Amino acid sequence: MAGIVKPQSGFVITPHKVSICILLQVYAPSGQFSVPFPFASISQHNRLGLFLIALTKSCDDILEPTLDEFLKLLKEFGGLLDNWLSEHVNGRLSSLSSPDDLFTFFNELRGILAGPETSIVDDDQINLDPNSNLGMYLRRCLLAFNLLSFEGMCHLLTNIKTYYKEAFSSCPPYEMTHLDDPSNDLEAPLEYENMDLENIVLQNFTEELESRKRVPFHNHSSKALFTLIEDIMVSRGQKVKHNHRSPETSVLPNTEPSDVILQRTNWQIQGYLSEQADMIEKLGSSFPMSAFESVLKLLQKVAPELHRVHFLRYLNSLYHDDYPSALENLHRYFDYSAGMEGSDFVPTSFGCTSFGRYEIALLSLGMAHFHLGHPKLALEVLTEAVRVCQQHSDDTCLAYTLTAICSLLSEVGISNMTGIMGASDSHVTSMGTSLSVQQQLFVLLRRSLKRADSLKLKRLVASNHLAMAKFDLTHVQRPLLSFGPKASIQLKTCPTNVCKKLRSSSQLIHHFDNESSVMTIDGALSTSWLKNQRKPTTSLVFPQENGPEGNFDNFYPWLQSSSVPGSVLQLLGSSYLVRITSWELYGSASLARSNALLFATCFADSSSSADLALAYGKLIQHLAVYKGYKEAFMALKIAESKFLSVSKSGILPVKLQLLHERALHRGHLKLAQQICDELGVLASCVDGVDMDLKTEASLRCARTLLAANQFSQAASVAHSLFCTCYKFNLHVENATVLLLLAEIHKRSGNAVLGIQYALASLSFCELFNLDVLKASATLTLAELWLLLGSRHAKRALNLIHGAFPIILGQGGLELRSRAYILEAKCYLSDSSISVSEDPDIVVDSLRQACEGLEALEYHELAAEAYYLMAVMLDKCGEMEEREEAATRFKEHVMAFENPVKPEDPLLNML
Amino acid sequence: MGVTKENCRNELRTAIRQLTDRCLYSASKWAAEQLVGIEQDPAKYPPSHTRLQRDCSSIRRRFRSTDEITSTPIAGTSYVSTPVPEDDNEAVDSDFYLLAKTYFNCREYRRAAHVLSDQTGKKALFLRCYALYLAGEKRKEEETIELEGPLGKSDAVNSELVSIERDLSTVRKNGTIDSFGLYLYGLVLKEKGDQNLARTVLTESVNNYPWNWSAWQELQSLCTTIETLNTLKLNNHWMKDFFLASCYHELRMHTESLSKYEYLQATFGFSNYIKAQIAKAQYSLREFEQVEAIFEELLRIDPYRVDDMDMYSNVLYAKECFSGLSYLAHQVFMTDKYRPESCCIIGNYYSLKGLHEKSVMYFRRALKLNKNYLSAWTLMGHEYVEMKNTPAAVDAYRRAVDINPCDYRAWYGLGQAYEMMGMPYYALHYFKKSVFLQPSDSRLWIAMAQCYETDQLRMIEEAIKCYKRAANCNDREAIALHRLAKLYGELGQDKEAAYYYEKDLERMEDEEREGPNMVEALLFLANYCRSQKRFEEAEIYCTRLLDYNGPEKETAKSLLQAIKFAQSGFPSMDVEHFS
Repeated sequence: MAGIVKPQSGFVITPHKVSICILLQVYAPSGQFSVPFPFASISQHNRLGLFLIALTKSCDDILEPTLDEFLKLLKEFGGLLDNWLSEHVNGRLSSLSSPDDLFTFFNELRGILAGPETSIVDDDQINLDPNSNLGMYLRRCLLAFNLLSFEGMCHLLTNIKTYYKEAFSSCPPYEMTHLDDPSNDLEAPLEYENMDLENIVLQNFTEELESRKRVPFHNHSSKALFTLIEDIMVSRGQKVKHNHRSPETSVLPNTEPSDVILQRTNWQIQGYLSEQADMIEKLGSSFPMSAFESVLKLLQKVAPELHRVHFLRYLNSLYHDDYPSALENLHRYFDYSAGMEGSDFVPTSFGCTSFGRYEIALLSLGMAHFHLGHPKLALEVLTEAVRVCQQHSDDTCLAYTLTAICSLLSEVGISNMTGIMGASDSHVTSMGTSLSVQQQLFVLLRRSLKRADSLKLKRLVASNHLAMAKFDLTHVQRPLLSFGPKASIQLKTCPTNVCKKLRSSSQLIHHFDNESSVMTIDGALSTSWLKNQRKPTTSLVFPQENGPEGNFDNFYPWLQSSSVPGSVLQLLGSSYLVRITSWELYGSASLARSNALLFATCFADSSSSADLALAYGKLIQHLAVYKGYKEAFMALKIAESKFLSVSKSGILPVKLQLLHERALHRGHLKLAQQICDELGVLASCVDGVDMDLKTEASLRCARTLLAANQFSQAASVAHSLFCTCYKFNLHVENATVLLLLAEIHKRSGNAVLGIQYALASLSFCELFNLDVLKASATLTLAELWLLLGSRHAKRALNLIHGAFPIILGQGGLELRSRAYILEAKCYLSDSSISVSEDPDIVVDSLRQACEGLEALEYHELAAEAYYLMAVMLDKCGEMEEREEAATRFKEHVMAFENPVKPEDPLLNML
Repeated sequence: MGVTKENCRNELRTAIRQLTDRCLYSASKWAAEQLVGIEQDPAKYPPSHTRLQRDCSSIRRRFRSTDEITSTPIAGTSYVSTPVPEDDNEAVDSDFYLLAKTYFNCREYRRAAHVLSDQTGKKALFLRCYALYLAGEKRKEEETIELEGPLGKSDAVNSELVSIERDLSTVRKNGTIDSFGLYLYGLVLKEKGDQNLARTVLTESVNNYPWNWSAWQELQSLCTTIETLNTLKLNNHWMKDFFLASCYHELRMHTESLSKYEYLQATFGFSNYIKAQIAKAQYSLREFEQVEAIFEELLRIDPYRVDDMDMYSNVLYAKECFSGLSYLAHQVFMTDKYRPESCCIIGNYYSLKGLHEKSVMYFRRALKLNKNYLSAWTLMGHEYVEMKNTPAAVDAYRRAVDINPCDYRAWYGLGQAYEMMGMPYYALHYFKKSVFLQPSDSRLWIAMAQCYETDQLRMIEEAIKCYKRAANCNDREAIALHRLAKLYGELGQDKEAAYYYEKDLERMEDEEREGPNMVEALLFLANYCRSQKRFEEAEIYCTRLLDYNGPEKETAKSLLQAIKFAQSGFPSMDVEHFS
């Protein structure tokens, strides 16, 4: 079939290889004695030998140096001899002017190989052992030369001439490079000249960065730019290290791109593409789109049969939200490759190869729709994928598809399955439509886990465990059957289950730690970008290929960079992310923080920028809650500098949330409303997509309204939010919303109504083991009781004391301060306790509350605390301190009532 | 017409000489074809002569010679009369020029260029550059085969382009370039990828010297949208009409193209080129009868013609005309078997015979000869579909759409292939592309509707929308109406269903078709009218049903009885239970 790539031709003789051969000849001239002519000492001779070995090892590198670079390298190694050597190389190269010269040259080369019969030779004589490293290399060169047709020889000759000429003329000879770009006009500079692929990327990258810098909204420091560029350089640097090349030579290889590509083998380019694919996924939208696109176009022009390029173009446009182009390229890729190209493809024993594996196309298309926020389309496509997989009995793909459907269902709010999943999908509908979405999801999760387990797809198993953990975190398990004997079930989420699942998902790393062979066995499928269950594209480049140089993949730098594949690391990283969330919910702030720190330190390199932004966001929020805004904003600045474009990264919502919180505390209600609206705009307008952002935005909106004392409006917003959450089964959020409703009623003075909501919220918290939230709800409940009259002070006090362990242990500054204030209030209003006898129990806690609230700049509560303190001190008769507290109280009241402070430096962050 | 035939004739004669002198053979061939395509003045020549004009070359030659003597050029009217440039007869150069030309004719391009390397005349410069260009092209072709690497095509380029461009751009800056030089310059620029400048240069060339059809063709290939076409500033010359007609065809504005050609035919009444172009346009409008007639005539006049004959073979294929196709295949095979068109015709023949492997072989050969031969890719895709080799079919179709993304047949083929593989949702993407490009083709809409209708998707509403579109664009097979009626019936929307059944019925009556569809429509309508208490109509339908044999006849009978009961005021009873 025309669409399948031809076997790679392997070792191609190039001018660079000819120069190495020239040096080889110098190193081992036939029939000479131990130290041949130009060398002064044995060590000098050995030095050249080492140099040659290094060169031969890097012969499969993506780049081949130009003559200039080569000579520069030679200078470094050659020491005293360098002039002689480079002149010799130049002389030999220039003497090769006719095909016959080449023939003679290679004939001479054959002479320096020791024949098989002369394997035991005189020690004095220098002969290359045919089985040594250098000998093998020479033999390969000879073989490649012998295989050349006359035309091939002519081309080699022309290449040598250009290679030689380029080094000695400042202006390059006729360059076709500028013909390559169709968009070029006559006046355009020959931009690709003297530049290699990666340099194009680098240069255009910098240009893009510069152009982005001009956009006022993203104000990132030049340091951020530098680190990113450095990032790229590091990946290059690794290569350099492995190829025993000095860095300065490989930074600016002076090679024409089309030439470079031709000298690269299929493998090398595919490796390059895999690397780039990883980069795209990692950097997401901050990957330089147009620069890479132009490289891809170039590649496509030169190698039209390399269909992977289309896939990369697809990825590139997908991550830049270019829907039409992504779709176009995806279809093109699968039309050409039939899903059987590149690292994706491992020939399967059960002969489905002749049909093509178009189900992968469906899977990819579904995931693309998912990524772009079209859940309905995604579900349609994935359903079709399931069907086609079953038809072609492609179990692996089926397992992946099921997992994809699971993640789709769990991430996208779908209230009603009917009408979305057609009558066709037996997997989903066989259980009957009576089941809720969540139940169906649970069943699907279990099935796909089982399937992945039986197929020994380790990554998939791990990611399924992770999905189960996520599910268990937010869902109460109920029996699926509505009839029959019922085992007694605790209607609660089960934290131990979550922990178990999380642990089993991170066990994955052990499989990859000790047995590297697993990777190749289970490489049946990869939709490499599939976020959580990615394949190690890096280590899996063509496990099935066993060309003449099958062993040489050892020299690929990316194989040596890490023993654990990147996708596994990423998966592990996301298990830590789930851990963060679970600890946050279960109310262990310190554990959540330590997990976030762990993620940020260990997985920052391997995870995608979105994940990283999430972890940073958690850390920043933690700081804000426990240390106040100053530190949080400092941390935010640091985090922002790590991202190329703040506006597109996950940091932006965090920043907005932080700003909103602060504005609320300081009483800048207009600003708060504005930020709220901005947060809402970030979410996609499609129903069910970006649910977390949407709930967050309307929750904050309700809080802003509450702060503005617009109770009925706040209540209606909260109410509609509750309805939405209920519709999409977001029960954890429901607990928060109920608490907010209680708060609204409390503020409006309707304690009786508020108590109901507080109790409802409490029961939700118990159901989902939300300890901190529960403490907060208890606090609100106590406040409500107190509101009913001082005769309930005792009850309120009891409630507070019951919640104190959690509040003091895990609660943030605000929660703690609120508790202290409430406690003080209770004492003050409880007639049975005479505070003046033991003022310290109140004053101490009030003092702590004041400190915390000052850090939070929460003027309203701080004023209250100082007021209480002043009252207390007045009672105790400590006039001086009372005056001080009173002044502070006045300050805070003033600040709260006149919120506009023009000199506020943080305002311009928006 | 604003220009007289005599005028055209004289212009063309000079042009042919000039073009031939510069070795622009295909352009001069085209011009010569148009020259003899001009209708002779019926006043001067009796009609019998003109009718024989094409068959009797000796007569024609005699006529032409007399014609040349007697004719007096008449000035053009509304058309811009472009002065025919005088040849610069550089006496000194001419000897070398003659030598170079002979070399060129023997296809020794580099030698020709070398001979002219010291010459300075415009003609010499042009021929030198042109020879170099062709030499480069030849080398490029060779290199593409030699360097075919593991990744497919090598980056073989015409290595002469740079030097030619350098030379020509200097001459252009000096202002001493002639229109032929401009043509070559445009060609080089186009190949370099500088489309905008290429367009400007080519426009300049055709405005100065409109008779070079090759220049027009290059210009046309640079006009892929109607917008770019409209922005061209072209002088009004009758050659522009040829150009526009051809452009309109490429832009799928078939009726516009057709009217342009018909207008041109007033002057060039005997032009085979125009006939073939009209056939092309008619083919796109699916008027196969007319296409066949035109090609039959063309073959009679010009029996050794291979150009455009692949389209004729398509028509013969569509009409399942075995003998005609085999005759055509034989004919072109004898004429020139290594033309892509010939291979394509033979491929078509084998395909019609059901020998798909052989057919693929010939399509492959056609593609080997010209790898950008669009219809061969598409047809090969069809063959692979027949052979149930869907991946190969997909590949072939995809290559076709990558060559020309406007090829709706290939998009359609892709959709079909995916539908065959049981991926109807995936296939929809391709069908959408296809109907977008050709919204007036009912077959595409029907295919898309069927895709929506598949068991896997069951997106009935979308299917109905598609069928409606199909019904609106002249659905010949009359599938759409029937399906619409049926789908509405399934949805329980009886009113709409009845409407479409009626329409379908009308149509069947018009076309005098009978069949199960007729029975179905009648039965439904009878039942529907009865349920609507329109008993008289129901009776009519029932009586018509009685003409058919089979179970429907019995149903009709019982229905009639029930209607009679109902009409006579008896309590209605469900008679159907007894039938």
